[in-house]
Order: sequence, then C-alpha cells, then structure tokens
Amino acid sequence: MRASCPPGGEAAADLLFLYTSIATLFGIYAILALSFNLEYGYAGQPNLGKVFFLSVGAYVSGALVAHAIAALTGYGGDLFTAQAANARLLYAAANPAAILGLFLAALALAALVGAAFGVLTSYPALRLRGDFLAIVLIAVGEVGRVFVRTYQPIAGGNIGTGGVPNPFVFLGDRTGRLVFSLVALGIALVVFLYMERLSNSPLGRLLKSVRDDELVANVLGKRTPRAKAQILAVGSGVAAIAGVLWAFWYQTVAADDFIPQTTFLVVAMVLLGGAANHRGALLGAIVMTLLDHVTRPSFYAILGFQVSLPFDINYLRYILIGLLIIVILRFRPEGLLPEKPVKTPALALANAGFPPSEPAPEAAPPDGGGP
Amino acid sequence: MVDLAAPLLNSLLLGSLYTMMALGLTITYKVTRIPNFAHAELVTVGSYAGVLAVNGWGRGVLEVLLLAFAASAGVALLADELAFKPLFKRGATPLHLLVASIGVGLVIRYTLAIFANFYNVLSVKSNFSADTLVSIGPGASLTTLHLWVPAATAASVIALHLLFTRTRIGKGMRAMASNFDLARVSGIRTAQIRRVTWILAGGFAGIAGAFWSAYGPTDPEVGWRALLWIFAASILGGFVSIPGTIAGGYIVGTSENFGITLLNSGFGLDTAYKPMIALVIIVAVFLIRPTGFAGLTLRVVIEGTRDFPRRTRERLKALRDRIASLVSSRG
Repeated sequence: MRASCPPGGEAAADLLFLYTSIATLFGIYAILALSFNLEYGYAGQPNLGKVFFLSVGAYVSGALVAHAIAALTGYGGDLFTAQAANARLLYAAANPAAILGLFLAALALAALVGAAFGVLTSYPALRLRGDFLAIVLIAVGEVGRVFVRTYQPIAGGNIGTGGVPNPFVFLGDRTGRLVFSLVALGIALVVFLYMERLSNSPLGRLLKSVRDDELVANVLGKRTPRAKAQILAVGSGVAAIAGVLWAFWYQTVAADDFIPQTTFLVVAMVLLGGAANHRGALLGAIVMTLLDHVTRPSFYAILGFQVSLPFDINYLRYILIGLLIIVILRFRPEGLLPEKPVKTPALALANAGFPPSEPAPEAAPPDGGGP
Repeated sequence: MVDLAAPLLNSLLLGSLYTMMALGLTITYKVTRIPNFAHAELVTVGSYAGVLAVNGWGRGVLEVLLLAFAASAGVALLADELAFKPLFKRGATPLHLLVASIGVGLVIRYTLAIFANFYNVLSVKSNFSADTLVSIGPGASLTTLHLWVPAATAASVIALHLLFTRTRIGKGMRAMASNFDLARVSGIRTAQIRRVTWILAGGFAGIAGAFWSAYGPTDPEVGWRALLWIFAASILGGFVSIPGTIAGGYIVGTSENFGITLLNSGFGLDTAYKPMIALVIIVAVFLIRPTGFAGLTLRVVIEGTRDFPRRTRERLKALRDRIASLVSSRG
C-alpha cells in the first residue's frame, strides 16, 4: 500500500491527516462506547438515543462559539453565514487564549447540559421496560434531529453552524491537528479511567444488581431509581463531551450529521467488544474506527488510490455494521472480551490466597489457588 | 379559512397505509416478540417492487400488488430464518431481538441502496397515474388511489379477522401470542405458524409500500421515514390489539396530515415539525397507558373519568406531604 503513495513531503502531510483523523475519531467513538457501555452494559438501560446526546454536546459548542465570538468582536449580523464562519476561523487563529477558553467552557457546559438531558431521560427509563425504552429513545434522537434542522436558532437549521475553529489552530494547521488529536485521545483516556473507577466502586456493583434483578436490589434497601438517574446523567454528560470534540474537529455542526446510524455504530462497538467490559468498549471503538475509515473515499484518496465502485462506498459501511451486529448476537453474544467480576478488595484477597497474613509457602506458585 | 380538503383526503390515504403497515408490526410483535425495526425496510422493498413492476414491466394493479406482496414476504421470511429464529431459539432477550432487527434493517436498506444506486433509481417516481374521479379544489382531488387503498386495508383487516377466528393457523397464532410454551406442548406447529406470520407481516408491508410508490417518490429511506408513525400506530394498539392498531393507524394518519395543517394555520407551526407529533403520541401512550387501546372498554373509560378527580387529589396530597417532610427534615 505504501508503494503506491505519491513520493515526497506531500505524502507525509497527507498521512498526518490520516493519522490524526483516525486518532480523533477513535477518541470520540471510545468516549461514546464507554458511555453506552456504562448505561447498557452495567446498568441495563439501553440508551439508543446516544446520537441525541452527542448532538447536544455539538450544538452547545457551536452555539457557544458562535455567540461568544460574535459578542467579543461586536458582530451583530447573521451567525450562520459563510462570512461569519470565516470570521470566526480568523479570530481563533489570532486569539489563542480566547478560543482555548471557549473550548474548555464548551466541555464543561456540554457536560452539564448533557447530564441535565440524561436526568430527563430517567423519567421514561424508570417507567418502561428495556425494549420500549429503546424505542422511545430512538424516536427522541430522530425527532431531535428533525427539530434542530427546522428550528434555526439552535444550530442554523439545515445550513448548520460553520466555522467552529480548531482551538489549537494558532500552532499552525498541521501541528494544531496533531495536538487536537492527542487532546482527544487524552480525554478518552481520562473517561476510561473514570469509568473503570466508577464501575469498580460500590455504585458499579449496585448498577449490575439493577441490571440483573432490580427487585432484589430494592429489597436490600438500595435506591435503584436514583442510581438509574445518576448513571443516565453521567452517561449523557460524557456523550456530550464527545459531541464537543466532534464539533471542534469537523469545525461544523449540522443537524443532519446526527443520524441514528451513529447510535447503531456505538451499539455495534459495545456488542463486539463485550458489554460490561470497558476494555471491550475500547476494542470495539478501534475496530469501528478502522471500519469507518476504510469505507470512505477520502481514505483511499489520501493513500493515492483511485477507487471506482459502481455505487456509493458509504453504503458498504452500514451493511457491514448490520452484518456485524447480527453475527455477534448470534455467535458470540457476550462479545470478544466477556464481562469480568467487579474488582473489590475482597476479590483481590481471594485471588491472592486467604488469609494473606500466613506465609503459606505452598501458595508460592502464582496460580496456586486459595479457597 | 384553510382548505381542509387535501389534508382530509391525505389523512384517509395515509391512515389506511399506516394501518396496513402497523398491522404487520403488531402481529409479528404478538407472535414472535420482536419490536421489528426492519419492518420499515419491508415497506421499502414493496415500494421498489411496485416501481419495478409498473415502470419496468408495465403491469396492472393486481399484478403489482401480488409482486410486492411476494417480494416483501420473501425478504421477511429470509430475515427470520437467518437472523431472528436462531436468536429466538437461544432465548435472546427482547432487547437483543430489537438490536438484531436494527442490524437486519441496515443490511436490507443499504443493499437496496447499492442496487438503486447502480441502476440510478435512488429517488424514483412511479409511472402509475391514478385517475381523478372528483376534483375538489387546488391540489385536492379524489382519485382511484383513494378508493384502492382503503379497500385494500379493509380487505386485509377482514382477512386477518377471518384468519384469527376461523382457521387453525390463526387460532395457533393467538395461542402463541398468549403463551408460547403452552402452545408448543399443546401440539401447535409453532415453526409453521411463525412462517405464516412473517409472510403476512411482510406481505402487508409490501402492499402498503407498493401503494406508497404510487403516492410519492421512492427512495431507500422511504420506509424508515414512515417507521416512526408505524410504531406510533402499533403502540396506540398496545402492540397486541388489532382493533387498537387500526384505530391507531387512522389517528396517526389524521394527526400527521389534518392535525399539522390545523397547527400550521392556527399557531404558524412549520409543517416540518410533524414527526414531533409521532414522538408525543409514543411518549404519551407509554407514560399514561402502556397498553394503549388494548382492553380499553367503555367501562374502563367511564370509571377512569369518574375516579380522575379523586386520584388527582390523592397524588397532589402525596406530593404536598413529600415536600412538607423534606422541608421539616431540613429545618
């Protein structure tokens, strides 16, 4: 594949484009998969409106950047024209402090707004069975897209909000892309560590009990409605953070980008990797990021190939996602990396051999089982 | 004064189409417990089959409907054999079945899209032209389509009624819907009945799709756009009740066409907001009465209305007590 690349520095620039695109998209997908895994894998709440919460983060970023830069520059005209978008990009290149501040503010605000929508979601979630909740949330995602496309003030209606700048553009175009993709990976890593801690805490065990038998958890005096609301708030807030990365990476926020297929992509990631296993969610996100890239014409254009299929290659991606969902559910419903017991101090003791105070020379081989 | 003739005629037409589509969704949910998101694609298959038969082969109405029925029923059977039946045998949860149906839907829709793209029919209009019977006003005329569609819906409802009440297979379906294991040990041939269910559901969706292609342009997402309304209709019927689904189909068709016209002229609401009506219907039914119209008799309505003031008073009192206890625990 390398051999067919055009030689020289131009190819290197193009490959940087490819690497940063893969890294950033992996970061976004990993965050979405982790949040869906928390809600579905641990708490058993199938939030199939994931794309809606992603879009909430993107709308918040777009609106914040558009309004804030207009206020800072004293611009009073239409926010959604191409000129306004260009002015925003120029402003961002000239004022690094302002745009970095806006990026951080968008992350915080989107997480809060997303969490608020998550709490609203808990209202039907407390009352409906899994499959009915999924139907309602798919409908919410689709209707939300139609609403924002029609109602212009949120994100420019069917034109969209252009000119959401890369916050690191002051470093230069290429370095800015590179830094942004590293930041996206960093945020994904933080979310992963947070999810690991959260799901290995007592709350994580409570969530699994809600998923497996809510009645028993109730009988033991656990407040399961509260746990569900908390976890939907956390999951939706985290998904909105992915939306912020989406908006600043693609530099545009348009309602029609948030089609339900994105949700199904995230579902496929978690089912493939293994529900209730955060490493599995990451594995699924890697596979799906690569699948997403190899089914786009731009991927082959960067590598210097001319792909001429008699049909739009994007269709192939959705067929593969659909096939993957069916095949996993049929042949390996637990996913590639199955669920593991929650890590607790007691489990660590049991694995180390119990009681640990005894020197127990016969327990010297590492796999020597304790009781 | 708004011209209400066109939205009324559209309500009749689309209400009948949604009813026919929702009947299939309801019977597959009753018998197989799958909230089938791939139902949208069965409609699309029927729609393309209709276009192919009219534009490509120049067939008459009955042949077109027969072909659409066969095409969608075939796709439905294939989807069940390859995807749903193995999952069902393993005892998959309804949620897994739902996710699997989404996967099946994606495969069918984008396979169709690839073929449509290849033959350059990504958006295609059927050559079928309905004869105008009575012209009422600008853009509103009673055509033969307005007679064909309600007649076909009535015929499928009567056929379903006769099936459920007069034949062994239909009674077997009702038995499977109420208790699968008991039906099976009673010697009902569940595999055969499952196949008949899919043929009927797919076939109704196919016929509705073929009519749809005569009404508007056909593209690979035509079924997906209708799916929200189909689900709303089925949910109004509680996913189990046939009369409830029929009522749901016409309520949904009327609120999509007639309702949005009234809202548009009354409050200036953009007609593009109409999918929100479907969402409101779905959420309202799930939260107020998850069984929909199923089991809704006159007596239930009367008792519900009579008890409503008392129940509301009780709820308000409980809320007041809750707030009072919260306030006192703070102080």
